[in-house]
Amino acid sequence: MIRNSIRLIPTALTSCLLGLSFASTAAFAGNGDTLKAVQDRGSLLCSGHNGSFPPFVQVTDDNKWSGYDIDYCRAMAVAIFGTDEKLKVVPISWAQRFPSLQSGDVDIIIKATGWTMGRDTELGIQFSRPYFVGATQIMMPKELGSTAAETLEGGSLCANAGTSTERLAANFFKSAGIEIEMITFEKSEETREAYFAGRCDSLVGWGPNLAVTRQSAENPDDHVMMDTALALEPESAAMRQGDDNWVDIANWMFAATWIAEANGITSANVDEMKANPADSTVEKLLGVSPGIGERLGLSDDWAYNVIKQVGNSAEIFDRNIGDGSVYKLERGLNALWSDGGVIVPMILD
Amino acid sequence: MSATSIQAPPPKGFFTRLRESLFSTPVDCVVTLLCAIFFATIIYKIVDWAFLSSIWTAEDEPLCRDASGACWSVIDARHRIIFFGLFPFEEHWRSTLACIVMIATIVLSCVPWFWSAIKLSALWVLGFGVFYILMHGGVFGLSVITPERWGGLALTIFIFAAVSIFGMPLSILLALGRRSELPVIAKLFGLFIDFFRSLPLLTILFTAAIITPFILPGWLQGDKLYRVIAGFAIFFACYQAENIRAGLQAIPSGQDEAGLTLGLNYWQRITRIQLPQAFRNSLPAIVNQFVITFKETSIVTIVGFFEILASGAAAYGTGKWTVHYIEVYVFIGVIYFLFVFSLSRYGAYLEKKLRVGHG
Repeated sequence: MIRNSIRLIPTALTSCLLGLSFASTAAFAGNGDTLKAVQDRGSLLCSGHNGSFPPFVQVTDDNKWSGYDIDYCRAMAVAIFGTDEKLKVVPISWAQRFPSLQSGDVDIIIKATGWTMGRDTELGIQFSRPYFVGATQIMMPKELGSTAAETLEGGSLCANAGTSTERLAANFFKSAGIEIEMITFEKSEETREAYFAGRCDSLVGWGPNLAVTRQSAENPDDHVMMDTALALEPESAAMRQGDDNWVDIANWMFAATWIAEANGITSANVDEMKANPADSTVEKLLGVSPGIGERLGLSDDWAYNVIKQVGNSAEIFDRNIGDGSVYKLERGLNALWSDGGVIVPMILD
Repeated sequence: MSATSIQAPPPKGFFTRLRESLFSTPVDCVVTLLCAIFFATIIYKIVDWAFLSSIWTAEDEPLCRDASGACWSVIDARHRIIFFGLFPFEEHWRSTLACIVMIATIVLSCVPWFWSAIKLSALWVLGFGVFYILMHGGVFGLSVITPERWGGLALTIFIFAAVSIFGMPLSILLALGRRSELPVIAKLFGLFIDFFRSLPLLTILFTAAIITPFILPGWLQGDKLYRVIAGFAIFFACYQAENIRAGLQAIPSGQDEAGLTLGLNYWQRITRIQLPQAFRNSLPAIVNQFVITFKETSIVTIVGFFEILASGAAAYGTGKWTVHYIEVYVFIGVIYFLFVFSLSRYGAYLEKKLRVGHG
């Protein structure tokens, strides 16, 4: 919702910088060993936000960065240095993201960034595998008794006027043959107020945003998400084009948290697992048998450190977005494939 | 034939004037009363929202839902973010002290006793030095805190002070350069000033923050913060130079010629005759530019600095506080008001002192 409109601003700026980006891509690719640059510098520069974008990037009461994306920034720093104290979070705006990456202001962008073809091919950027899928969802009162789309037959939907979510919702209900009245508002605050005031039976928006909205309700438990997602946006980490090893590190950093979850390894039991590895995958992941580090230019215990200090993917989700947080967003499609999600860990051989 | 003497009417009392201007006819009475009721209602609503029905402490946050007034709990819980941004929690005393030092430096440099080049530069080098040591650390056993963690009010004040202190001398230089008798110099300075004045501040900041690293060699880049301050200072100086030039232009040429006949050299004429009068002539415009600059510091948020407005967004941007953005913005508005209002009152004091507008 808010996000969509914010995202329009940078397009122009980014296109202006396109020429420069290309020129610099070549330059960076030339000396482009990001890992070495990061190790020489002694710190990893990861993206923050100029403000707050809950639940991905936010600031705690004691002035520390926290959030889902920040945790993956931490994981990246732990993978490289063995500690997240070497992580420097650089506050950047949406508009500034890609130029900042090109100018070397940040080494990696982990900031709810959708993988689009334009960004991938025209901005001199390389994406990691998606580490989060952002679903456009519909929130409705629990008292309707069901989370199926048909429940809303003859009802109404609050949406922000002129946004892509509004179009998505209209198309969805049209193709499903469900009669629904769209009530649109210019401002997202108005849309939110209207839904809570009962002017419409449901509210459409980007899942994580809806979760943030829901926890501000008088009784958050009274609201549930419809079980069908209208659209999915894959969120990936963005890196400079031309440094394959750096992309590998990001991909395997994400994969390590997934493989750990798939094998039941958590930050709590990782030491136990390392002492008595169940199978060869766990052995390789935790560095009991060598290989996981050397092939990326890291130490063999990097994945162990990540799991020990940051946790597996379930823990990271739960702490920031899921039941361990105030937002309590269902994990849904962000679960592993074995739990009905779309996340598929790569194979560790 | 009796002489008619014209007597001034006796001075009217407050209530007489009030009655004559507001309650002279029945229609006047009605209009006055209606207006009074209207404004009283608005004022009551504001006072009620802000003070009477509001919730004050962080612990009382659960009461906010049912309260009709403001929920100041968000300020109680998150004011440290607004003031200090991402500065490490345990080191907040350093940021507080640095703020106080910088504000003291600004206030002291407003005191006429300090108005000499030597005293002012000594004061600012000292103030800036102490501020930098406190914020950055690295000496006297203070831990190093790099600028990407500076934030909140402290960063806003730092940017404003740095832009003023580097921009002001530069603006004098630019104004003098543009009025140079050598046509090449005058044209070049004119071109420089007009070039930067015709670019939006946002473009300049974006260029300074993001594009310069592509162009400048590594050793010249410095931290992003200093590049942005440099860009901002140039922008400020170009506008201020035109204000000062307007003041210089207003001085009759006879004064400069008189100085020449007395055998004063160029710098003596500039510092003793021209500049003091130029400042006096264009004081309102100069103060105005400072006020604008203070408010424009919020633009640096777009290049990723955690100044007070971005800190405010971070303060309300989490969990239960997300609905209380109005309180945070009101709080920040009050902080801005305190600074800008004192600036403009100081301007008014200066005008009185220098008798601006009295020949």
